[in-house]
Amino acid sequence: MSSTRKKLSIGLASILAVMLFLSACGNNASNNNASSSGNASGSASNSEEPVELSWYMVGTPQKDVDKVMEEVSKYTKDKIGVTVKMTMIDWGDYNQKMQVLTASGADMDIMFTASWAFDYVQNARKGAFAPIDDLLTQYGKGITDILDPAFIEGSKVDGKNYGVPANKELPAQEVWRFNKNLLDENKLSIDGVRTLESLEPLLKTVKANNPDVIPLQVDKNFMPYTPYDYLIEKFPLAVKLDDTSYKIVNIFDTPEMKQALATMHKYYAAGYVPTEAATLESSSDVQATGKWFADKATTQPFADNVWSTSYGYPIVSTPQSDALIYNLSVMGSMQTISANSKHKEKAMEFLNLLNTDPALRNMVDSGIEGTHYNVTPEGYIENLPESKNYDMPTFALGNVMLTYLNPGDPADKWEQFKAYNDAGKPAILLGFNFDPTSVSSEIAAVQNAKEAFWAPLMTGTVDPDKYLPQAIKKLNDAGLGKIQAEAQKQIDAWKAANGK
Amino acid sequence: MASLTKPKDFHRLSPSWNVIFNLIAGLFALACVFPFLFVTIISFTDEKTLARDGYSLFPKKWSIDAYDYLFKAGDQLLRSYGVTIFVTVVGTVISLIFTSLFAYAISRKGFKYRNFFSFFAFFTMLFNGGLVPTYIVTTKLLGLQNSVWALILPLAVNAFYIMIMRTFFATMIPDAIIESGKIDGAGEFGIFFRLIIPLALPGLATIALFSTLGYWNDWFNALLYIEDPNLVPLQSMLMRIENSMQFILQNTNNPSLGVGVLQSMPQDTSRMAMVVLATGPIVLAYPFFQRYFIQGLTVGAVKE
Amino acid sequence: MKTLGRFAKDFNRNKALLLMVLPATLWFIFFSYLPMLGTVISFKEYRVKGGFLSSIINSKWVGFDNFKFLFSTDDAFIITRNTLLYNIVFIFIGLVLAVAMAIVLSEIANKKLAKWYQTGMFLPYFLSWVIVGYFAYSFLSFDRGMVNKIALSLGFDPVQFYSEPKYWPFIIVIVFLWKSLGYNSVVYLAAIMGIDKSLYEAAMIDGANKWQQIRNITLPMLTPLMTILTLLAIGRIFYADFGLFYQVTRDSGTLYEVTNVIDTYVYRGLKTTGEIGMSTAAGLYQSFVGFVLVITSNYVVRKFNKDNALF
Repeated sequence: MSSTRKKLSIGLASILAVMLFLSACGNNASNNNASSSGNASGSASNSEEPVELSWYMVGTPQKDVDKVMEEVSKYTKDKIGVTVKMTMIDWGDYNQKMQVLTASGADMDIMFTASWAFDYVQNARKGAFAPIDDLLTQYGKGITDILDPAFIEGSKVDGKNYGVPANKELPAQEVWRFNKNLLDENKLSIDGVRTLESLEPLLKTVKANNPDVIPLQVDKNFMPYTPYDYLIEKFPLAVKLDDTSYKIVNIFDTPEMKQALATMHKYYAAGYVPTEAATLESSSDVQATGKWFADKATTQPFADNVWSTSYGYPIVSTPQSDALIYNLSVMGSMQTISANSKHKEKAMEFLNLLNTDPALRNMVDSGIEGTHYNVTPEGYIENLPESKNYDMPTFALGNVMLTYLNPGDPADKWEQFKAYNDAGKPAILLGFNFDPTSVSSEIAAVQNAKEAFWAPLMTGTVDPDKYLPQAIKKLNDAGLGKIQAEAQKQIDAWKAANGK
Repeated sequence: MASLTKPKDFHRLSPSWNVIFNLIAGLFALACVFPFLFVTIISFTDEKTLARDGYSLFPKKWSIDAYDYLFKAGDQLLRSYGVTIFVTVVGTVISLIFTSLFAYAISRKGFKYRNFFSFFAFFTMLFNGGLVPTYIVTTKLLGLQNSVWALILPLAVNAFYIMIMRTFFATMIPDAIIESGKIDGAGEFGIFFRLIIPLALPGLATIALFSTLGYWNDWFNALLYIEDPNLVPLQSMLMRIENSMQFILQNTNNPSLGVGVLQSMPQDTSRMAMVVLATGPIVLAYPFFQRYFIQGLTVGAVKE
Repeated sequence: MKTLGRFAKDFNRNKALLLMVLPATLWFIFFSYLPMLGTVISFKEYRVKGGFLSSIINSKWVGFDNFKFLFSTDDAFIITRNTLLYNIVFIFIGLVLAVAMAIVLSEIANKKLAKWYQTGMFLPYFLSWVIVGYFAYSFLSFDRGMVNKIALSLGFDPVQFYSEPKYWPFIIVIVFLWKSLGYNSVVYLAAIMGIDKSLYEAAMIDGANKWQQIRNITLPMLTPLMTILTLLAIGRIFYADFGLFYQVTRDSGTLYEVTNVIDTYVYRGLKTTGEIGMSTAAGLYQSFVGFVLVITSNYVVRKFNKDNALF
């Protein structure tokens, strides 16, 4: 047996040696490939040889991507000497695939990231992205000119920028949405509705008059609005929006959350909320049938119109919070440059062009004019049948304010967006991003403790009087206190450094 | 029970037990088929009706929109069928050869290193390096990125199959057969292919079946290694739809994602239609393997 | 020199068999043993810096820190208990039912019918857990579920299954067996088919009835296979089927007490931080415990019957 073991260990050692050797070769080979492919595509149209940028993008892979990118490359080759190869990875696979690609040090230039897809902050800390502060000043003038400074400020991780946020709606504002048919039918008015509590008389009427309608549509993602800025999304640590001392609190200890949960439970008991809200994955079923009266959503300019068209019945909304700029709203859609990219400067030049040049931006967004779409003289887009082969997520491809208007959009759409953005005020934690590295064990434990009761409490399914104390105890046992202390330390340091 | 014995019927069950056995197997099989039937019905249900009434065996309104949606991709679907079938056939053949050779060798009592190699295989069932290292070996070292081999090789050998096959060889093949082969002057390979294989057909059919299903159902390797749309297998198309639906549903409250994305999202019915399309053919292939379960018996009997 | 000579002789004598193991051995080296070296990241705080190897080399050693989250809270007990208990139940009930079903199928007189049953039983294997989860929901949902509709019509109160932990151990076991039984019984069915027919003929001549034949021939002939498959299952006893415990339960928080297992715990815990060092550590821990258990049980099996052991 011992000789077997010895043989085994010798075997493993030699395998390791072979692997080191081979992977070194592999790296060289891929380097060679990269440079030779650069050479190959180098037709002498520009003084420098064009560089091929590989761009990873989220979204359902489109049939005509290569075709469109060929056109894009023609354009960019002349302008800045780059060609573009885009790889699209479907929504549900993006996180995992990108994680593997970056961890393995794959050769990529530009990657899509956001707070909700291939987590921007997390991966910036892990070293997946190149810091772009210098690149921005050198090659990204156009970007910094068009973007609201809050975008740049809010997307800093540990004081450095790693991504170019897409210029789009900036502040986030929570609204109550209403199914207008039911409002009219019951002769209800939404004037004066703002707080969760102020909804009650409306819900009561609808419940009485329309027994087959869900008065307040809530699913497992629901969270009542409270005036706090969360440290991590759906994680119970937060700072009150007007607390200039920046004290981190457990959201379940706050009077606002306690009251909201009590109200939710009251609504649940009264039958205003779906019975199985805590495990309901989404509201798409009721939205399709229109058998709901009110729900909570995040708005943007013209949202009511968009919702109404997409559901096929009229929707109206009224705010339940101020329009504030959170870290999350800044990080809704970003492009980053890979830390392993060999063409960081060129990548930045390309991103700069993408965010400032309407021709390029629209090509990437809608495809080839005459093949996929036509434009009216007024700047409205007309999709051609071929557009089904190139249907891209507009918001994810950089500055949306350069894109053509969709049929039915008001002519001053982008002006209104700008006005909306200008009116937004920064939330208290804008620009601060918590570094969880030193408490990652505690975070894992707290996540598990938290998820056990989060949705039941938030949807009002369980009685907070009974469950809240248990929840708080479990969170503390799992180490929430330690995370809180670490976060407070980081916030205090950040506060001092930024003169807040 | 014993009182029911009729001497010449020893080889058969008594009729009443036969009925009971039929009931057990039949009812369970029904319970297994039922959801599948349900999937098929849902795939033909009108989307709005589904949202309103929930799943129903007798939907108020039928529709083939879901299949329309999938066939919109057109040749993509056909190509995916092609990829899946190619990968499954080639993969299963390779897998059978690798597995049975290895398993046979370690089933032989005379093989000096049988314990070492048994352990060598078994160990891989427990420990694995995880995603990233595997990805690196496959792409950087073996250079299989975007190659159909990336769908075949990672599943070609499986220690689980080897262990099953080894047991089959060890229990079903009498040593005397190997000895007789040696006396006839056959080499090891000759014995294996001419004498052993025919006897081991039930075992081989099992492994072939498992391997076929494994290849047919695999989507993860495609997620990791395949970016070329021409090489995307069927199951991977299905899982893409499933994963993306789930992802988008979980993010419905995310303002960034916007309503547009939600609208282009495939619907519940398309997902079910995809299940039907992805499962139908392989279910039909199943009886092919069943033949060998029976055949093994007769071959074995003839050889004796 | 002498050992070398003996090795050469051994090697020569086993040449043909060594040639047979060669292809799969190469495969194991490339697809299993080489990647296994990557396990070292479970002791590292993995950060990307250049390629994978340079990232590993440049990442900080953190000792056993990555394992800590698995043991730090009360949940450690719950997830270990759940994972172990469910797997033990799965292994034993699964074994008994799979063997029983294989015997039932092999004894059914009408072979055509038996084939139909067998094909039917296989279907659940093709449904992903997401789809199975949707079905479970169509049965168990509070307002639309079939179970509650039946309960109501019989005058019982409807049950909110997704917030009642007490039902779930049963639901999970049933769903698991439903999905895996057809697949697992195939191996045994094939083994039964491979049993030498003359053994049964001899038994019949001795006057053994069908039940005696099953007890004295079929079951003993299946024992090696049962032993091996059980041993292999023990090796994976610390792994839980993620989809079963996550999708089928709709990730309902109220049920965690009976549905949180190591795999779901790791998934939830690492969602925010995404530390691959920690997920690798969890995998290593699961493998290691499985390894120790298999080695122990294999040792026990060897005591009874050397031929039935894994190695």
